[in-house]
Amino acid sequence: MAKKSKHGRGKQRRQAARDERVAVEKVIATSPQVPAEEPAFWFGFDVSWAKLVLGRFVLFLLLAIDSLLNFSHAPRYGAGDFNVAQLPLLDGLAPTRPSYAIGQLACAYLFALIACGAATRIALPIVAAIYGWLYFGSHLDSYQHHYLMWLILVLSCFVPWQKPADAVPATRIRSWALRLILVQLGILYLWAAISKINPAWVDGRTLSQQVVGSMKSLITSTVGFKIASVMVILVELTLAFTVWIKRTWWIAAPLGLLLHIGIVMTGLEIGLFAWLMIGMYIFVVPDRIWGWLAERSPLPTLRGFLGVVADWFAGAAGWILWVIAGALGLILALVARYDHAGAVGLVLIAALIGLTIYDRKHVARIALAHLVAFTLWTIVDRATTTAPDYYRFWGGSSRRLGDTKTAEYAYRKMTEVAPNEGAGHFQLGRLLLARDASDEGLTELHRAEELEPLKARAYVAEAKWLLQHGRRDEAIAKVREGTIVEPTDSEARSLLDSLVGGTK
Amino acid sequence: MNPVGHVRALVATWRGRFILAFIVVQLLLPLTYYLVRRDPHDERFAWRMFSPMRMAQCTPQISVDKQPVQLMATFHEAWVEMVGRGRFSVVEAMAAKLCAQNPGKRVEVSLDCTYLDRTPAHFGGQDMCTHPRL
Repeated sequence: MAKKSKHGRGKQRRQAARDERVAVEKVIATSPQVPAEEPAFWFGFDVSWAKLVLGRFVLFLLLAIDSLLNFSHAPRYGAGDFNVAQLPLLDGLAPTRPSYAIGQLACAYLFALIACGAATRIALPIVAAIYGWLYFGSHLDSYQHHYLMWLILVLSCFVPWQKPADAVPATRIRSWALRLILVQLGILYLWAAISKINPAWVDGRTLSQQVVGSMKSLITSTVGFKIASVMVILVELTLAFTVWIKRTWWIAAPLGLLLHIGIVMTGLEIGLFAWLMIGMYIFVVPDRIWGWLAERSPLPTLRGFLGVVADWFAGAAGWILWVIAGALGLILALVARYDHAGAVGLVLIAALIGLTIYDRKHVARIALAHLVAFTLWTIVDRATTTAPDYYRFWGGSSRRLGDTKTAEYAYRKMTEVAPNEGAGHFQLGRLLLARDASDEGLTELHRAEELEPLKARAYVAEAKWLLQHGRRDEAIAKVREGTIVEPTDSEARSLLDSLVGGTK
Repeated sequence: MNPVGHVRALVATWRGRFILAFIVVQLLLPLTYYLVRRDPHDERFAWRMFSPMRMAQCTPQISVDKQPVQLMATFHEAWVEMVGRGRFSVVEAMAAKLCAQNPGKRVEVSLDCTYLDRTPAHFGGQDMCTHPRL
């Protein structure tokens, strides 16, 4: 009986795949059905559904990851009660450490929802507003790529990202906003090229000082920085005039991809920007390539299968999935190491309810996207040092700005979220010793010594404390241990020399 | 469609007007860097990624009644880094904060910058509480 059912499902999937192939042929033959409004350059611009959905998934997933990675920057916002907004009218509404952190968690959630195609019409304007506030509210992180991404988000509000009824990979989707996004990229490349028409760029000096890593050796051993610099200008000028014209995509796609892959290899600290640009090129790679790939095995079968699965969740099962996703999402938020994650998780349950009321036809999709968003939180949290970095940066800046109480709290939290990282224990130990909490301070330093077997700093801190308390011999023994574990540490060496010299 | 007809057709709809406005702003906004921006280090909105100006290095000196201010102990290091790149608006805001914290005192700021593509420059030197712009 079970075997028969399995065969039945296989047959169903094969039938679904066959149906889709027939539909593809039908769409290719008939679309676009309605003549475009003039000017057709804008209003007749169309791309395949395969391209649009792939671009949406990759671009917004990358943006979600980028938001989570930016989380650790939160402690710089509002630190020392100082801020300079990019737009003076936002001076009074500048992001602070908690609001920036919460804003990035919310952005990551909304980007994940959009990547999954859930509630894009409402999620995009909200995320564009939050992203804009975080960007324009402060000169901190005022990089050009954040500005570009904000512009793309604003334009994305007008792109029909959600799947039209009966759409198949070859279905043509018209979008003037997508054309405008590509024109915006063209404008960016044009001005970027103009800014480089400068002797210090053309003679290779600027590039040679900015590039590090494998790309530096590659350029040095091949064309040299002078030729590479001129090539960059030529590539940017070419992209300025080809990236937004369908007929020239076959030139723009390889050139642009090579340029941005090259930027990835330069080792520049620009976050995921180069990857985001590579993601943008999904819209520039000619449609027929995505169409061809979409028809390769096993993708048609997989789509048919997913269609069948989606049908299972069309009714009451969708609501069961919704409840499970809501509960799991909350659990994941509560176990996340991000500051404020639990509270944000609770608020996002309310967002889930609101989005479901807004779009009741896609209960299962919204539920699944909700779960994907929190799963992404968890993956980035556990796979990176973002959460401990947040506390480390918060502790560090508070300590430097003289707020030792906050610094102690931050380092304590750091030791909680990353108990096996020596840095938190070391800094906490130093702060505790400075306020005469000697027993606890020494315990933290000993823990740091265990966790950082090749670093002398905890030994040095303990030796200094021993010296202050008249325990000179113990201090000498301790700092000697420090010079053994890290012979190159100049502070340990000079302290030992001064102590031993003093003894002599 | 000829360019004039193209623009006329665009002006006829709200979407077209949005497209036109967006393109005009995006084409002209970077021009402000070259034509009217007083701070050469501020390359925002001008798409000057990796430009030679990005390599500018500025050394700030801020004092209150001739007493040097320890910037790292007063402002977050991210702001101090931005001053190291010569961002005028940040330097001026720092001076304004120090003026507010030290009423009646003289807050002096000087910024010495070196560049890849031009001769070194010196900015400031005056009392920022009376002349708040570099």
